[in-house]
Amino acid sequence: MGETPKHRDEHDQRSVPAQRSWAAYCIGPVFFALAAWFLWGPAIVELPIESTPKVNAAQLTTAPRREILGNPPTIEIGGFKRTCMDCHQMFPPRDDPPVALAQHKHIVLNHGINKQCRNCHDSKDRNLLVLRGGETITYDQVETLCAKCHGPTFRDWEHGAHGRTNGYWDASRGTVRRLRCTECHDPHNPRVPAMDPLAPLPGPHTLRMGESHAEGESGASHAEHRDPLRRAIHKYIADERKRAESKPEKSEKVEYYKGEDSE
Amino acid sequence: MKSVADQSNSTGEGRDRLSRRSFLRGSLGAAGGAAALAAALSPLRMLDTEDYTVEKFLQKHYKEMSPGDMDSVLDRIRGEVEKRYAIRPELRDIKAQDGVEFVYALHLGRCIGCRRCVHACVQENNQSRSPEIQYIRVLEMPKGSIDVEQGRHDYDRPTVPDPDHYYMPVQCHQCANPPCVKVCPIEATWQEQDGIVVIDYDWCIGCRYCEAACPYWARRFNFTEPKIAREELNPNMAYLSNRPRKQGVMEKCHFCLQRTRAGQMPACLEVCPVGARKFGNILDPESEVSQILKNKHVFVLKQEVGTLPRFFYYFDEDYPRNTFNKPLPVLPGGSHG
Repeated sequence: MGETPKHRDEHDQRSVPAQRSWAAYCIGPVFFALAAWFLWGPAIVELPIESTPKVNAAQLTTAPRREILGNPPTIEIGGFKRTCMDCHQMFPPRDDPPVALAQHKHIVLNHGINKQCRNCHDSKDRNLLVLRGGETITYDQVETLCAKCHGPTFRDWEHGAHGRTNGYWDASRGTVRRLRCTECHDPHNPRVPAMDPLAPLPGPHTLRMGESHAEGESGASHAEHRDPLRRAIHKYIADERKRAESKPEKSEKVEYYKGEDSE
Repeated sequence: MKSVADQSNSTGEGRDRLSRRSFLRGSLGAAGGAAALAAALSPLRMLDTEDYTVEKFLQKHYKEMSPGDMDSVLDRIRGEVEKRYAIRPELRDIKAQDGVEFVYALHLGRCIGCRRCVHACVQENNQSRSPEIQYIRVLEMPKGSIDVEQGRHDYDRPTVPDPDHYYMPVQCHQCANPPCVKVCPIEATWQEQDGIVVIDYDWCIGCRYCEAACPYWARRFNFTEPKIAREELNPNMAYLSNRPRKQGVMEKCHFCLQRTRAGQMPACLEVCPVGARKFGNILDPESEVSQILKNKHVFVLKQEVGTLPRFFYYFDEDYPRNTFNKPLPVLPGGSHG
């Protein structure tokens, strides 16, 4: 008689699995239904992978900002290449006080307090530049002239901290091209203008894959469309975007530097 | 007691017999199991069996390959690239040079945030165009602090630079104490003699530990098969750098190894319109980077984490005519515009 309760306990434990809840019977079918759906389910979206908005090849140029006219400066007139002295040899050099230009009117001098042509240009030989003491240099030594006023910048340029160096870092294997002052700065207006930005692309974002402007285009083709996680992410991103778009954003006036005269 | 034993015996025999119910249940279970197995294996249908050759399976680690092994591997990869992109690449394995250690320096006062470097890098290094993978992030940060928490890489302005912000491009810093290399469980990434941290894309298992370990968010993962248009593929490739990657491997900036080990400048530097980027051999005392480190104020990003980056930021101290019209705000932390 003492064993009876224990007996009953064992019997009860054994009988528990027999009373499964209805949920236990649902798990299997749901699982199989899901499996079948993954296997044969409709391709809901082709993960619409957009190609990167095209970057204009001209924007990725390695060319200098400015094209210099050479040494001595050469321009084409009537199909012939002319240097300054081709014309200026006909005129006597002028040493009189500076006058308003009758020629070269397209040049607007905006170089700080340096407001006279002959601070830099030699009055006798127009193919040369002139230093403060009257010493002349050629146009490919222009940095010597700039250094007369911009000492620290010249020092940095000599070391390589200022300016551009293109080509090869290893001089033994190729040309190290150190750009001169006038290849970036217009000597008549030395402030470097603001760049046109590239088509502004968002930064790298791993969850952004498949975010698309081409949502309507679905040519369900391959691997991507079977991943429910991606679909969920895709939907989430689209919703977020819609919400952001519906929210009116205050327009921001962007100002950038315009040169000295603007203020 | 006896009767109980009999009862249990008889029920036991009853269970051994195949009843209609247990047959149905069993066969349903078996069919369902088979379907589930098929579903689980269904991604295999998308495999290209030619991608999984014995030769590839038995390929050795980069450091263990003999020159002969490497030649055959390079041939195989050339074939793969040609098959996929219809371009025969100039694929090489360029080794590090003796007496060279690469260092990058970036002038924060010059950078205008035009993102040309980002896109030159994408073109040079055959990153996936979709989904986008970019090695360089240009952070736009408010002037007066170096708080990367306030940095935004998705700025979108009609023109740059914005006068209230400065721009700080971040890419792989090729740390001398690289946390990403330490966490790699299979040595698929390591530091080369010239300081470049490289990845063997054929060895990487895509666990992404390195991505998590990097304090600069410099590593990228190929979540899907990277897509590049044929005409955009750069055929100048190296094994450790810009050969096309597969889904499921990590990639990152490698200082344009295919260019820099041939003496050239990296692609991001070549397109920089303002000359903010400087690159060279730090072991050469006359090189630009050596001179910059000697003469300018330089700092590294997140110095406190002890990664010893080979990527330095510098600026002109007390530069008399700074790029912008407005005078820089003088803040306790010092300004650097």
